[in-house]
Amino acid sequence: MYLKASIKQSNIPSMTEKELLIQYRSTGDLDLLGKLYAPYMSLLYGVCFKYLHDAEKSQDAVMQIFEELIRKLRIHEVDNFKSWLYTFSKNFCLMQLRKEKGTQYVDIDEQVAVGHDYLDESDPKEWSESQFEKLEMCMLTLKPEQERCIRLFYLEQKCYKDIVALTGIEMNKVKSYIQNGKRNLKICMESK
Amino acid sequence: MGSEILKFVWRVSKMENNYQLSRIHNYISGLMNKEEMFQLEKEALEDPFLQDAIEGYRLQKGVDVRQLSLLQQRLNRRVEQTISTRNAQFYTWQRLAVGSAAAVIFVVLIAFIYFKNFNINKSRTTEVELSSPENKIAIEPLLTGGDASPIEGWNAFEQYLQRNVQVRDLGGKIILNFEVDKNGKLINVNFEDAPNEVLKKEILRLIDKGPKWHGKKGKLIISFPIENPTQAFKPTHCFGIEEKSN
Repeated sequence: MYLKASIKQSNIPSMTEKELLIQYRSTGDLDLLGKLYAPYMSLLYGVCFKYLHDAEKSQDAVMQIFEELIRKLRIHEVDNFKSWLYTFSKNFCLMQLRKEKGTQYVDIDEQVAVGHDYLDESDPKEWSESQFEKLEMCMLTLKPEQERCIRLFYLEQKCYKDIVALTGIEMNKVKSYIQNGKRNLKICMESK
Repeated sequence: MGSEILKFVWRVSKMENNYQLSRIHNYISGLMNKEEMFQLEKEALEDPFLQDAIEGYRLQKGVDVRQLSLLQQRLNRRVEQTISTRNAQFYTWQRLAVGSAAAVIFVVLIAFIYFKNFNINKSRTTEVELSSPENKIAIEPLLTGGDASPIEGWNAFEQYLQRNVQVRDLGGKIILNFEVDKNGKLINVNFEDAPNEVLKKEILRLIDKGPKWHGKKGKLIISFPIENPTQAFKPTHCFGIEEKSN
């Protein structure tokens, strides 16, 4: 129910979002770009803060990204604005970090993994019996902590906090077990 | 507590499409029930954008609405800037006169091109923009650089640049750091990323003759327009004139 509501929410603006993109590309009207950008600013601020670790730097980064878009979006035809914007902004922040070298906080392992997630907006397919069997097989190839967290999260639908309480594993570890476990599972399911 | 949250939600919903933000706020502040937490966590696993944003706000230990409405104001200002310079340009008499003359020439030119193409049975639509917003100099002050600002305000400063800039054939973005001396003049101007020498000189000239400032130091982005965008990048459509039409 909840999920459905959120999908509806994001689909309707994306219709007009596409129109805004096309119109901006042909007219260069900043007002349009502002309308396109404003809804993402708060999320972007969070993203920037994750990498830059500083409130003012993050605010500046959000504005600098907007400056970049003014030109970029007149040249490039962007299909999925949200994921394009995310990738662009993340790269912007990483470049910023590289500029002021010595203050690197980025976990490379996680960075590599995250980039691919947008590629499969998998529609729920019907699963055959053999696939469930394969899934079970793959579950066994995971590290025990990963398997446990994955089961609790996806099968029992526990939130991170519950999993922390149940297992005594730290919150951050729970998250990365689920993230990495999910990735490993996918790799395993797609092999053979 | 309850009314505070309500107020928060109200303010947030005033900002466009920010319902994800209120969820992040509630999540980090422990105001969600377990199912809601699970849902958000699950969505975040599929959506790295959301995931990063949550991690950022968690690192910051919460959502600060004041910061975000400040950001919104900065964006508004940035967007309005170009609109106001556009209006200012349209409504002075001189400009109007020049503009109408240009418009006449423009119409004649278009008619000429149109008929030329029409005669050889090849009609094309041609879109040419006389003054699009990105053909204006734009400035963006950066908070990280300090608190300096022009005494007459940012818009006035921007209009000053617009009126007095002499370099017209170069575009680009320049980032500069500077300090303000006790007379309100900018000193110790430093440029980032080694910009074009001509633009650099032009900026130093403009700053030297420009209005006074207050504050101690500052950092600015000045974006010079690219007067002729066709040279900078090739659009995939329009500008059919360039094709040969013998």
